[in-house]
Amino acid sequence: MDTAITNDLDQDLAALKAKAADYGARHKVIERVEWPQDVRLAVNFTADFDTMLLRRLLNEPPQQLAKGEFGGRVGIWRLIELFDSHDIKATIFTPGRICELYPDSLRAAAKSGHEIADHMWEHRVPKEPELERDHLRKTIAAIEKTVGRKPVGTRSNHSRELLLEHGYIYVSEDSMDHQPNWLSAPDGSKPILNLPFHYAIDDAMFFSFAWLGSDNSAQRMMDPDHVEEIWWRMFEQCYRDGGYMNICMHPFVSGRALRIAMLDRLINRMKALPGVWFPTCEQVARHIIGAR
Amino acid sequence: MPWKDRYTISDEKSIVDSAITWPDGKRCCFRVVVDLSPACGPDGIEPADLATPDAYYGMNGGLAALVGMLDRYHIKATFAVPAVIAEIQADKLRRLAGEGHEIAAHGFKHEDVSKLDKDDERKRLARTTEIIARAVGQRPAGWFSLARPGDKFAGGAISPNTVDLLLEGGYEYFGNGLADDAPHYWVSDFASRRAILTLPYYYHFDDQFFLLFPRKGTGLENPDSLFRNWKAELDAQYKRGRHFSMVLHPHAIGWPNRLHMLGQFLDHARALPELWYATSVDCAQHWSGTFPAATHLKLEASIWQDYPGSLN
Repeated sequence: MDTAITNDLDQDLAALKAKAADYGARHKVIERVEWPQDVRLAVNFTADFDTMLLRRLLNEPPQQLAKGEFGGRVGIWRLIELFDSHDIKATIFTPGRICELYPDSLRAAAKSGHEIADHMWEHRVPKEPELERDHLRKTIAAIEKTVGRKPVGTRSNHSRELLLEHGYIYVSEDSMDHQPNWLSAPDGSKPILNLPFHYAIDDAMFFSFAWLGSDNSAQRMMDPDHVEEIWWRMFEQCYRDGGYMNICMHPFVSGRALRIAMLDRLINRMKALPGVWFPTCEQVARHIIGAR
Repeated sequence: MPWKDRYTISDEKSIVDSAITWPDGKRCCFRVVVDLSPACGPDGIEPADLATPDAYYGMNGGLAALVGMLDRYHIKATFAVPAVIAEIQADKLRRLAGEGHEIAAHGFKHEDVSKLDKDDERKRLARTTEIIARAVGQRPAGWFSLARPGDKFAGGAISPNTVDLLLEGGYEYFGNGLADDAPHYWVSDFASRRAILTLPYYYHFDDQFFLLFPRKGTGLENPDSLFRNWKAELDAQYKRGRHFSMVLHPHAIGWPNRLHMLGQFLDHARALPELWYATSVDCAQHWSGTFPAATHLKLEASIWQDYPGSLN
């Protein structure tokens, strides 16, 4: 039988301790964020504007592309309209190449005051460092050309140092805590802020068939009422504790009429409570960095 | 690379809610599609697929129960029928057509055509049209390619040639598109603007994914979730003045606990005064006449480019 188990137990201990220590040293949670006066909780509405690009990248069949295309033709417009109706400023993480497919919607979002941020060039981070740099630069150029402003944040695993070099101030990717946190070198140098989101507060988990390769017996086909309650429980506890909440949406998922109606209800419930702030991720990041 | 080929199938932005109109000043279209294919694999219906209790129920007790329920609400549905089923069940289909329901095509035997070469697919399509026309007494106007329960994706499989072949074969509409929740145009050639009217489909309004999916003994029964999805979508679309459609499988929805839930949903729909109950062909003809591709398909020049080191 093939096995990785060896009898050098001291070596195992040392290797595991070193890895845990290294990971720990690269991550630092901000225990308590001091929000602007009267703010108890910051809620970021974030939308990953993949539309069909990830489907195309995975070489999925035509009907899958069309399913994603709903996000660009319909969903993004409904999300902009929804956020505008509530005077909420959202963050749209867009792959650079989407700027060539749906430029009007991105311009409309920017005009309404929503933040346009980076979601990789074509929804992947190349392993080759030079190509990674090339993709990041292409995305920055495409977003700047489309909306007149360079992105300062990303939802991706782009290298931290590369992001800092290009003027990025935050990432919104991993969930090593439910509070904002710093990612840095093991000695604490070159930190970048992370605004975490969790997969349970992500529309695609509940509504997108075959998401991330899940097979048919593992489909999570749910309804908006059910998901609204999961997300509301998250909000209630965050509100009680004070802190941060990030809601991850995809225009091809949340842009469906039944889910826009659900988000509208959810936002009304949130707005009924005092001290809830709905800024862009950039606003949150600048506030935290400024208070440092 | 031609236009946005292999990236998008239609124009950049959908029709806005306020531009949509329905016949007789109605507010929202309501469309029921019934899938008459028994559960089968990617090769389509095999003899063994017809010798199952579910397949029998779907063409007998389940079908009768569903049609009875639709009759009670005076709803005329679209039956999506594989040619082999039309051949076997010609009497039943003639009766349904005679009662005002629409009979549409659903492949030769609901097989996956995505890997077939164009000539083979063309022959199957022509044979399907001919068999259904003979069985029903009228050729089908619409073509469906709905998902089989074991498919990896829930959208239904077509080939890169299907849309062209449907146009060539004289079809007025393609029945299950996912790029919109209103009728829209599926473009097969951007230069010549060749396109087929496509009616919307979404798997959250398809009963098979909520009722012991993927099959008995493995899946959970979630009729409440299905009901809430139907109701939430219908209410939202009614408010917008757009379109609602659902897909039903008689072998699934005919079972009494589920039929009861369907009745509750149709009660809810009946309370909405301005619904336009339409078959798919009625909906398609209204749309083609009111929002023809010549004036409503807005294909702008592409700024899409190919880049080294990127997808193309």
